[in-house]
Amino acid sequence: MSALGAIIARDIRLAFRAGGGAAQGVTFFALTGVMFALAVGPDIALISKIAGPVLWTGALLATQISLDQIWRADREDGSLDVLVETSDMLALTALAKAFAHWAATALPLIIATPILGVMLNLPAEAYAPLAISLAIGTPGLSLIGCIAGALVVSLPRAHLLIAIIVSPLYVPILIFGSGAAMSDVGAPQYGANLMLLGATVLFAAILSPLASAAALRSNLD
Amino acid sequence: MTRKQKRTFLLFAVFIAAGLALGLTLTALRTSITYFYTPSELLVLDAPPANTIRLGGLVEDGSLVHGEMSGVDVKNAVVSFTVTDGGATTAVRYAGLLPDLFREGQGVIVQGRLDERGTLIADTVLAKHDENYMPKEVMDALKEQGLWQDGEEVGS
Amino acid sequence: MNLLNDLANPVRFERYARMIFPAVLGFALLTGAAGLYFALFNSPADYQQGEAVRIMYVHVPAAWMSMFCYSVMAGASAVGFIWKHPLADVAAKETAPLGAGFTILALFTGSLWGKPMWGAWWVWDARLTSVLVLLFLYLGYMALWRAIPDKARAARLAAILAIVGFVNVPVIKFSVEWWNSLHQPASIIRADGPTIDGAMLTPLLLMIAAYMSAYVAMLLPSIRNELTARRLARLQFVDETRAAELVEQ
Repeated sequence: MSALGAIIARDIRLAFRAGGGAAQGVTFFALTGVMFALAVGPDIALISKIAGPVLWTGALLATQISLDQIWRADREDGSLDVLVETSDMLALTALAKAFAHWAATALPLIIATPILGVMLNLPAEAYAPLAISLAIGTPGLSLIGCIAGALVVSLPRAHLLIAIIVSPLYVPILIFGSGAAMSDVGAPQYGANLMLLGATVLFAAILSPLASAAALRSNLD
Repeated sequence: MTRKQKRTFLLFAVFIAAGLALGLTLTALRTSITYFYTPSELLVLDAPPANTIRLGGLVEDGSLVHGEMSGVDVKNAVVSFTVTDGGATTAVRYAGLLPDLFREGQGVIVQGRLDERGTLIADTVLAKHDENYMPKEVMDALKEQGLWQDGEEVGS
Repeated sequence: MNLLNDLANPVRFERYARMIFPAVLGFALLTGAAGLYFALFNSPADYQQGEAVRIMYVHVPAAWMSMFCYSVMAGASAVGFIWKHPLADVAAKETAPLGAGFTILALFTGSLWGKPMWGAWWVWDARLTSVLVLLFLYLGYMALWRAIPDKARAARLAAILAIVGFVNVPVIKFSVEWWNSLHQPASIIRADGPTIDGAMLTPLLLMIAAYMSAYVAMLLPSIRNELTARRLARLQFVDETRAAELVEQ
């Protein structure tokens, strides 16, 4: 178990040091919000109405652009071979990698959300649903992204391919997450959306480690 | 932990996660995330939603009223009707083209905002049809024999 | 399993394929012609939808095939992944574009049907959205195959993606029951029997048979082409290595 802890700690440290990966993610996230606001124009009422979905989309895209790095860095410096050869359960390693990716990319986004919320005139009562739906949903983005990253790890460049593979699989998370973010805390759809979001993420947590491990093995033999 | 213990532990974790996911899904589906509200659901809400909503139900028989411009300027003709789900009803006003299937007794989904008197000012009217397909003659025969009532086959 | 083992041999597969191809094609043309005749000239108009109900006869089979092809693709992928059955890999690969084609046809005809009946070309309800996701799953699967140069590795990786994406198929099937959608629920496969009149069921079933056999009739030559292309690539490789050896000597 401590081996997994070491992997997580190393990945998070790398993400914050090497090239400022986490800072770049947050910057990208902020920029998508700015783009939307500029594209909509001066209609503040409209911006504030779509702020929740816009921030959800931004978080999704910001997560997506960093997926290529989950396994590629390990592949390039050779440590992926060591991981695959030595770990007695590769699926667990994959789970740890997904968690590290979430902590290094999605967590900073969630922390940055209130600032962007102010920028986009997010209504005061919408902060809690947005933060909670992001906290529940973004681990699913990292988990599913982990599979896509593992599938393309032996290819030289794969950003576009990852986007094509992963976007359809992200659809339920986006729908339920954004649906919860847009509903009032007491409303029946709020609970239902959150429950379906949680179910999707749990399901991804079961499927992703197995699929990622299978993909890594297929890529290395 | 030995490898075997680890495996058993993981298997347990997977089962618990799967059970939890299933339970969440089933509970969520019981409350049903609606593509649309029904008039009864609107009635029990404490505060009417301010945003655009979708309302689903049947067009109540005898409730369809064509506005004054009807027949002259078809594109902007105003119609009003009430949508019912058997329990409650909601009044709807709409200006624009209606789909072919729109008629009294037909299932519709109406999209728009509620005004202060609880009338839905619609910007879109969609007609919903059911899963029953049959020729008109068969339908008439069924109705004649009293085997078809309100869009439901009796005793099937 | 014996037949599957037999089919793993490309030469034998070729022989079987050649044998049944004319029969399958003939069956597809026959049922297609009969189905279209019934659908257009010899079936009643619907009590609600009138003549527009005839769009159903091209739409519903296409929608069925879109899910059927994905299930075949995922099933063949699993067989190929577990037993390393080369023909299963090729069958999965060649099913993808056909399935994507059926999905596009289903979306297109559904749109044509939705405009007059519902009053909208497109709505974002659960059924329509999940079928659109299916189309993108097909496209992602095809993109992954194209991106990976080594065929054996591509087969394994694409198989994983196909199996993961299979979760969408039950979602499509049950979307109209789980959510209050605009799309109507199932008419044929349901617990209390079909809710479609016999006179309309005949052309629909004929069209489904036609689509299904058309799929097989298109699949067989594509598999044969792929097998031939692979053999050619191998021969070229052998040729090049021999040429390189000769140059060295």
